[in-house]
Amino acid sequence: MLEIKNLHVSVEEDNKAILNGVDLTVNAGEVHAIMGPNGSGKSTLSYVLAGKDGYEVTDGSVTYMGKDLLEMAPDERAAEGVFLAFQYPIEIPGVATMQFLKVALNSQRLARGEGELSTPDFMRLVKSRAETLKVNQDMLKRPVNVGFSGGEKKRAEILQMAVLEPSLCILDETDSGLDIDALRVVAEGVNALRSPDRAMVVITHYQRLLDYIVPDHVHVLSKGRIVKSGGKELAQELEKDGYANYSDEAA
Amino acid sequence: MAIATQKTAAETAYLEGFDAGGDWLAAERQKGFDAFAVTGLPHRRMEDWKWTDLRQLIGKAYPPAKGGAVGDIDALAAKCPLKDIARGHLTFVNGEYDAGRSQLPASGDVEVTALSTASSALPIGETAADPIDGLNRAYVTDGAFIRIKAGSNADAPLELVFINSSRAEATFTTRNVIELEDGASATVFETHMGGHDAYVSNSVTEVRLGNGARLDRVKLQMEGAASYHLSNLKADLGAEAKLQDFTLTMGSATTRQQGFITFNGEHTDATVSGAFLLNRKQHNDTRLVVDHKVPNCVSRELFKCVMDDEARGIFQGKVIVRQDAQKTDGKQSSHALLLSPTAEFDAKPELEIYADDVVCGHGATSGDLDENLLFYLRARGIPEKKAKSMLISAFVAESFDDVDNEAVRDVLKDLADSWLAAR
Repeated sequence: MLEIKNLHVSVEEDNKAILNGVDLTVNAGEVHAIMGPNGSGKSTLSYVLAGKDGYEVTDGSVTYMGKDLLEMAPDERAAEGVFLAFQYPIEIPGVATMQFLKVALNSQRLARGEGELSTPDFMRLVKSRAETLKVNQDMLKRPVNVGFSGGEKKRAEILQMAVLEPSLCILDETDSGLDIDALRVVAEGVNALRSPDRAMVVITHYQRLLDYIVPDHVHVLSKGRIVKSGGKELAQELEKDGYANYSDEAA
Repeated sequence: MAIATQKTAAETAYLEGFDAGGDWLAAERQKGFDAFAVTGLPHRRMEDWKWTDLRQLIGKAYPPAKGGAVGDIDALAAKCPLKDIARGHLTFVNGEYDAGRSQLPASGDVEVTALSTASSALPIGETAADPIDGLNRAYVTDGAFIRIKAGSNADAPLELVFINSSRAEATFTTRNVIELEDGASATVFETHMGGHDAYVSNSVTEVRLGNGARLDRVKLQMEGAASYHLSNLKADLGAEAKLQDFTLTMGSATTRQQGFITFNGEHTDATVSGAFLLNRKQHNDTRLVVDHKVPNCVSRELFKCVMDDEARGIFQGKVIVRQDAQKTDGKQSSHALLLSPTAEFDAKPELEIYADDVVCGHGATSGDLDENLLFYLRARGIPEKKAKSMLISAFVAESFDDVDNEAVRDVLKDLADSWLAAR
């Protein structure tokens, strides 16, 4: 589904190289965890996949469903099924959550040549997804993320994911700022979306989230490269020994 | 101060076109003319006018005129966005009362007259010692007089419609008085529409609120694209009164709107807010002077300004708190969104505080759309143009929250959305 080859990325502002040759292949149905210390390039990787401005790809390629992902605008990527759950979901004053979800879903459907969803069908869809994620009606009535607690913001991200039903879900530090109960709710929401034709890339600093969202593959990102890959036991190893063993490998 | 300068073509046309007339307004016209003859048109060397030099901007002669409309007035009247919400209408076409397009409310507690049809003199005052007021009083042809009797409600909205069309290079002048006696309340809309010819529209509104009175006023400025819109609002507020005033400015090439709000009685609230939606080379200079003369009053001003292309928005807001006006709570803010690198916004907030126990503040921001917000929307599949429209619409709509009437808020949102859709 996703094939990243020798990806080199620098920040446009100061030309600083962040990713220095990332290789990663993710197949449909798989859950990959990317772990790494702060500053290893985890968030940059997620932003580059989602299409944020401000990053320059200096080498390498990203192929998604056989297409050149880097050539697509962010909204085209979303319509093709790429979804990034933000580490810091953004507050959008004045834009109602329901309106936002509806415009997003119908924009994607139109781009894919599907018809727009009717308002009653849309309401039913959101309501059923919201119940699973314990997102109450009050949250849906408020402007996007405005006045939400950290945990509410993360649940709202997963709700968006559940409504938009993407093929490739990238979760950037979805566990940060969550207490154990909120973490469980979020993880259940994510697990409910696991399916043979959907892939997930879970980016996290800590192993904790991976107790709930059990990955098929774990990769260690350090200084902009994947320096080690393994099964889920690699995450436990990292939890025990920390990142000290990896910090110098890419130097 | 009279400075001997050569008269511009516009000034000459005004001075030569003066005719006090023989009706009850003749004495007022003479007063206005005498004031204007001294000041002439304002220019950049006057601090309050430094961004809007009318001497230069009004380059040609626009002789004072009345009536003579030949264009498609019906089409403009049909486009008035608030017409279906209003329950009574007074229509003025090229500064002349149009009885055929007016439906006056039937209630005896509500006195509504066109100045030109008044049988006796009505109380007209001065809005400010400034050229807009002088010009207005000198050349006033018509306008609305509304008086709500003590304790009466005229909450069914009354709409004043001003249509200026198809008479190029003329000045149309209207003056309105809205007087709410003690405990009275009213909702008044002002809709200013115009055709594509170049003209000057000068419209002044005097508001007098008695004790415990409440006025909700909504003004839509949708004058023709080549026009000049000059306007003063003067509001004198009694005790325990409430003024909710909102202006949406979309029309005219050049707009100068001024508001003079004076608190004369305690425990009164005034909210004066608005939005600008400007493009091409539109210029809108809005100036407010809020004068707290007495203690315990609350004033709020919020302006959300969107400028595209080479448009220029200006907000000059002054809050005066007199020595006696303790416990004043005054907040003023203007926020601008610049959609093009050649758009411009200038803000001049001023606080003049002589009392020592007050809460006053002002804030002014100016910038372009937040890239992070835009990316968030696009990452959810919303195309760039739509994402921008949603953010701009949300930005402007914050000011609509100051309008209590939900149907009016919906109209304002629709107007903003159609402006955005045309970008």
